[in-house]
Amino acid sequence: MIDFSFINEVLVLLIDFIGIWLAILVYQQNPKGKLNKVFAFMTVLMLFWVNFAYFARIIGRDQIYLAELFLRIAWFVTPLFFTLLYLLVIYLLEKEKEYQFLSNTVLFSGVGMALITNFTNFIIKGIKFIDGNLAIIYGFGMWFFLGIGFFLICATLYPLFKEYSKFSQKEKRKIEYFLVGIFIFYLSNTIFNIILPSIFGIVRFYYLGDYSAIFLLGFTAYAIVKQELFGIKIVLTTLLVSLIAILLLLDAIVFTPQPWLQILKGFIFVIFLYFGYLLIKSVLLEIERREEIERISRAKSEFISIASHQLRTPLTVVKGYISMVLEGTYGKLGGKVKRPMENVYKSNERLIRLVNDLLSISRIEAGKMELKLEKISLGEIIKSVIDELKIKARKKNIYLKWERPKKALPKILIDRDKIRQVILNVIDNGIRYTNDGGVTIRLKVKNGRLTTVISDTGGGMAKHELSKLFESFSRGLTGSRLYTEGAGLGLYIARRFVEMHKGKIWAESKGSGKGSTFYIELPIK
Amino acid sequence: MKKILIIEDEKILVDMYREKLSQAGFEVISVFESEQALVLVKKEKPDLVLLDILLPRENGIFFLEQLRKDPKIASVLVVAFSNYDDPETKKRAFELEVKDYLIKTDYTPREIVAKIKQLLSKG
Repeated sequence: MIDFSFINEVLVLLIDFIGIWLAILVYQQNPKGKLNKVFAFMTVLMLFWVNFAYFARIIGRDQIYLAELFLRIAWFVTPLFFTLLYLLVIYLLEKEKEYQFLSNTVLFSGVGMALITNFTNFIIKGIKFIDGNLAIIYGFGMWFFLGIGFFLICATLYPLFKEYSKFSQKEKRKIEYFLVGIFIFYLSNTIFNIILPSIFGIVRFYYLGDYSAIFLLGFTAYAIVKQELFGIKIVLTTLLVSLIAILLLLDAIVFTPQPWLQILKGFIFVIFLYFGYLLIKSVLLEIERREEIERISRAKSEFISIASHQLRTPLTVVKGYISMVLEGTYGKLGGKVKRPMENVYKSNERLIRLVNDLLSISRIEAGKMELKLEKISLGEIIKSVIDELKIKARKKNIYLKWERPKKALPKILIDRDKIRQVILNVIDNGIRYTNDGGVTIRLKVKNGRLTTVISDTGGGMAKHELSKLFESFSRGLTGSRLYTEGAGLGLYIARRFVEMHKGKIWAESKGSGKGSTFYIELPIK
Repeated sequence: MKKILIIEDEKILVDMYREKLSQAGFEVISVFESEQALVLVKKEKPDLVLLDILLPRENGIFFLEQLRKDPKIASVLVVAFSNYDDPETKKRAFELEVKDYLIKTDYTPREIVAKIKQLLSKG
């Protein structure tokens, strides 16, 4: 028969030892760091929680008052622990100012809940012993306690998920470690401290939920202290392989009395170790390969960024001087010189646009492109784009028609510059590929989404061209046959910008020579 | 006559903007690095500074930080004027109260003059 109380005792001692070691380790790394201080304090609370809950359980029914006091201390500490966990996230993300209101609400809820738990019978009415196991008699406020607990969990996870995409690869890894720790902790607590006791009445595994805090602290400490972290995938694979190996070994040694079966299980254990090793090695290889690709991609983005900046200086000089020549700063231009000068200016403008597009792409792909959202009327943006492009359409002798909606449409939350660039790109494309007729722009609302519809009477596209239209460096056949302007980046950038807004962009055409219609669909929010 | 200080390390650009600004009736002074620029701002008290961001030794952000710290010159109008449009740098520049952050390739010298006149008329 397995002695659970002995295992429990060993586990508590082990957790105490590891907890103290982690607290000292993290605190010593940077005694003045807020993150390090919060971690150390959190560990102390965790030790209070685990130890007092343990004492409450071993004291026994003859000292029930003392057991209840210890239990209340453990429960008093719990919401404080969750509060510190939230603060740890805020310090980890370095977002104290942005979440000031949430932080105050969490502090108020956590501390309030701790006080109510300890000093009233609202949550814990008392305790009793069932088959020698301690069981809590919950008060009416238990649901309130769970509700606050749920709020604290959501408040902790919310900034993590919200800010995740903005961080560098290195910071993302730290967050992933923390998330794994937090996941094990929340899951164990939900199973052992909530579901098993309240639904199935099983209280003997209570301690496993409490003890899972050590995983949270372990993963977090590792993320804080270590500068270069292994990918979380390799850590989880190793952990899983080790866990199965330990179980197999225990099964073979402790639970198998027959020697022949022991040998067989030992053999299985050895085979498992070998395959486990192969698995870990392959995961490691895959991670290394991915890191290499990421490194090359970063180097490429950096190169484009620097090259673009360097390219812009001579382009500025050309733009500046040619514009001054055209304005007559150096005397009136003769009729023959003006047109070539205008062509130089236009070509230079095209080069500038190309450099800007390359920069945008390198930023999008490096995940550095951010949205500056504001409530704007899409109609206003369309009007300003039309004002800019109407001269171009007039020069080609085609119409540019804006069919204003009859009633006012809602303003939507978008990044003005980016959506303007999308609409400008699509209309400009329409003008470029239309020689007869013109371009019509409409707006329509359907299913909570606002769609800008841009139709032209130009070259149109075949089906296979439509599918490639929004990829980088591809243009419709008509485009590549008749025109050389543009490197096919505009629509690709447009797609990426629209996707950043959780929208959709696509094109339809009945075939070559039958015109095209572009749709830019954005959510109304 | 309003005085404009151009902080720019590309001589050819300085010449170009000086020409256009002088023609528009401004007095133009220029310098190619941040530390000297701080000395010049104190001495010359320009009405507006046209500030490049990527400069030799200390960058334009350093110039802005030092400028805003010194109460004698802290209120000088500054327009960041660079081809380096890194979002973080832009954000920092606005925190240090630049009136605008213009990308050079987006503007002709005439448009820059118009922008400067508009800013100076607002004060």
